[in-house]
Amino acid sequence: MDKSVLRTAKGDGRIAFAYLAPALLVLVGLMGYPIYQLVLISLFDYGQEQVSGGAPLTFLGAGNYATLLSDARFWSVLGQTVGFAAVCVAGTLLVGAALAVLATRVRTWARMVLFLAALGAWATPAVAGSTIWLFLFDANLGFVNEVLGTTGLSWTYDKWMAFGLVAAQVIWCSFPFVLVTLYAGIKAIPGEVLEAAELDGAGAVGTATKVILPLLRPLLVVVTIQSIIWDFKVFTQIYVMTSGGGIAGRNLVLNVYAYQQAFAASEYGLGASIGVVMTALLLLVTLGYLRALRRSGEAL
Amino acid sequence: MNRRASRGLAEAVAVAVAAVVAFPLYWMVLTAVKPQAEVLSADPRPWTLAPTLDSFVRALTVQSFGRYLLNSVVVAVAVVLLSLLLSFLAATALTRFRFRGRTTMLIMLLVVQMVPVEALTIPLFFLMRSVRDVAPVFGLNHLGSLVLVHLAFSLPFAIWMLRGFVAAVPVELEEAAALDGASRFRFLWQVLFPLVAPGLVATSVLSFIHAWNDFLFAKTFIISAAENQTLPLALQVFVKPDQNDWGAIMAGSTLMTIPVLLFFILVQRRLVAGLAGAVKS
Amino acid sequence: MRFAAAVVVSAVVLAGCAPVQSGSAPSGGDERSGQLRVWLFDEVNRGPKEAVVKEAVTAFEQAHQGVTVDVQYIQVQTRAERFKAAFSDPRSAPDVAEFGNTDLAGYVAGGGFAELDLGGWGEAEDLLPAVLDTGKVDGKVYGVPWYVGVRALYYRTDVFQELNLRPPATLDEIAPLARRIRAAKPDLLGISAGGKYTYGAMPFVWANGGDIAREEGGKYVSAIDSAESKAGLRQYTELIADDICPPAQCAGNGGDASVEAFRAGKAAMVVGGDFNRKSVDASAAAGKYAVVPLPGKEAGEIAPAFAGGNLLGVMRGSERKTLANEFLRLLGGKEYQRRMFDAMGNLPTFGDVQAEVARANPVLEPFIATLEAGTRFVPVTPNWAKIDAQAVLPTLLQQVAAGGEDLDKAAAAAADQMNAAFAS
Repeated sequence: MDKSVLRTAKGDGRIAFAYLAPALLVLVGLMGYPIYQLVLISLFDYGQEQVSGGAPLTFLGAGNYATLLSDARFWSVLGQTVGFAAVCVAGTLLVGAALAVLATRVRTWARMVLFLAALGAWATPAVAGSTIWLFLFDANLGFVNEVLGTTGLSWTYDKWMAFGLVAAQVIWCSFPFVLVTLYAGIKAIPGEVLEAAELDGAGAVGTATKVILPLLRPLLVVVTIQSIIWDFKVFTQIYVMTSGGGIAGRNLVLNVYAYQQAFAASEYGLGASIGVVMTALLLLVTLGYLRALRRSGEAL
Repeated sequence: MNRRASRGLAEAVAVAVAAVVAFPLYWMVLTAVKPQAEVLSADPRPWTLAPTLDSFVRALTVQSFGRYLLNSVVVAVAVVLLSLLLSFLAATALTRFRFRGRTTMLIMLLVVQMVPVEALTIPLFFLMRSVRDVAPVFGLNHLGSLVLVHLAFSLPFAIWMLRGFVAAVPVELEEAAALDGASRFRFLWQVLFPLVAPGLVATSVLSFIHAWNDFLFAKTFIISAAENQTLPLALQVFVKPDQNDWGAIMAGSTLMTIPVLLFFILVQRRLVAGLAGAVKS
Repeated sequence: MRFAAAVVVSAVVLAGCAPVQSGSAPSGGDERSGQLRVWLFDEVNRGPKEAVVKEAVTAFEQAHQGVTVDVQYIQVQTRAERFKAAFSDPRSAPDVAEFGNTDLAGYVAGGGFAELDLGGWGEAEDLLPAVLDTGKVDGKVYGVPWYVGVRALYYRTDVFQELNLRPPATLDEIAPLARRIRAAKPDLLGISAGGKYTYGAMPFVWANGGDIAREEGGKYVSAIDSAESKAGLRQYTELIADDICPPAQCAGNGGDASVEAFRAGKAAMVVGGDFNRKSVDASAAAGKYAVVPLPGKEAGEIAPAFAGGNLLGVMRGSERKTLANEFLRLLGGKEYQRRMFDAMGNLPTFGDVQAEVARANPVLEPFIATLEAGTRFVPVTPNWAKIDAQAVLPTLLQQVAAGGEDLDKAAAAAADQMNAAFAS
């Protein structure tokens, strides 16, 4: 029996509903209805003429999806997005986890310094953060080029360098969430467990990988799923730092591609279909991830 | 390596990492106070001997700056407060009670976070237009519409996070309270609420950031009522890398970031304690 | 099984519903008092513009008792969303608005702007016909041109003097000239040619006899892959090379960034607009530059320039139609166009006012000459906004210049994308 649930009493269903009602109202109204509209829109030829120009609606069925899936560009952008998101998620988790372990091994003052810096990175709005990094890495005026002696080198011209730069920025503003969450998780591990590991002769790295990480599994799952969802949907950083997708659109990710090809071009039906496809993909990835975990014996 | 040396090394690494992580922010503020000539020089220095507020003056000539700042604050605070209340109630319902559709609801909350927000702007636009006919303050061109939308978008994550905290409070506590004659209601507010306070702080931080940084919905909903614009939208005129006025761009960015930073500093101690509760999920 | 049933049920439910639309077109009204709402574009340095507009507002309010004018300055970057929102919600819409002439066809299709009746307006006769055309869709006027902008060739007189060079007399001379300059002065760009600078590249295409698209039986068909167009594209993209304007520096530049390089003293030539003049005068290149029209294929010809500019229009759902039209005629009329020129350097669209201004300001001569030699425009169809948003032309330029792609293939792909958009 689930220990966190009360023994059900009469009228409990009503109370539960009463508690849920406000949130449910907001969610169904402001998310449920628009999502329903979104799916609907993806089935029609829906542009600005239909939205405000009084033009009649044409039902396309799967037309928008066919157009989308037969566009070679869509597939290459999708591939790039998956790769880019994977690098960001991996980087964020690695940096966050490593620093979380580090934070447990230092005194309070050092930890506070580290946390304050991390919070600063986390607090910076995406637009501001992207612009600062762009300026730091500017070809002529940038500090990084001056320090490295490579004045004149453009960090956003080459496709992979541009992706690398944006990934670094995304990791910079995402790792604090992982850091703080995992640190709290490690702090919650009973001291005896850690002491036992040390007595067994495990070094810092050994303790980290063989003792701490397995115990943090549930937390890591949550953090990983959130990171996947956020990094797959990255928009601002790519848009600002690669001027809307890079040279000849070679740095496009799915959300920017959707904006450029669909929303800015008033092809809302197509844009909606991209939105639905993105949601479906994320759902598949998450379900796949969870299933893999369950197979390895972990419960959610 | 002995304990002391290993800890010293760890601390050195921590400080070095902190310096690297904080450097872009330092550079942002530095550039904002540098005189124009130094900003555009090919030889940027990591300090300035002639700090000036010129760039800020340029950024602040954005008219009604104070008003926009207030708008952003009002929206963010409203979202935080409402989100705390609604997510707390919902998380309690979803954790403490057993009813049909509970798991489905939880999964829906996760799925809803996966939808790309940009795709929803048109349906939401028309929704807000309809709302305006019923309750103008929540409709188009008013701040209430921004509050509603950000509330909706931050609830799923908030509920997910709070679940863990509520689940961590032992059932026995509530049963004991019931035996003592306390009503459900009193238990909720006088016992449960304070116990999950750290979790509430954590989710409020995220809701604040989300509402503060928003750009997309302010752009979509506030059309003719310029006085209801939010700060990031108003400062956007400076964030145009093509223009080359990096000083003003950095000044604008600094102004956008400071309030969030302040909020963070206010809650940072509770924040760490707060996220500890997520372990229990 | 239950899942499948749910899917079927949802499909049935969905099939019976339709996406939301904004409803029938607004009819507006003709109130004679109250508040008149005006949207104008924000500028980085808005002071001078605001001052002139305030004068117009004061004059208007004095002439019409009981009427107030509320002017809002909207940001150019987010203008598309704001206008689309205004079209979908007439209550949020202004009465009079400034907008770009390339956006016109799309806005008209979106049901935003009302047809203007210029009859009874004496001044309208003097509007330059080619410029007025940019305010027309299907022969009907939807916007009064408020100012026109054309581009010409800026060059560094000090550099040319030092190297004993003369400004190019034909289009073919530009590339060799630029190479020579860069060879002699390696830290200068021969010519600042941006990979995203469509309006700087199009004159090359037009001068070679090509075009973006041509009309065929009422519909547009892409002409960017014709032999002439490709010749022009080749001439432009060869400028984005290491020996003239290295791709790493130039491929990502739009018009603003290209001119910026000239302003910073880093380029010997640039295709810049008359609207850039004031800012170049306030830059490192001040006093060291001159302007000539961008030459055509043969000596003595001028390459056709793009007729950019902004229009003033009245929104379809305006509740104060007569007042809106009157304010438009005031702000867009000769008097205030002249004042806007003095304040912002915006080239007037009335023949006589333009001539007067040209006489008083000889520096405008190359731009006027370019205007008079004949200007071109983008395809006048709502689908142009799609092609613009999808960045088809900039991508084409960048693919060839920076991506090393074969011009024929890239042009063919661009033509396909354009035709798909034209047909939608």
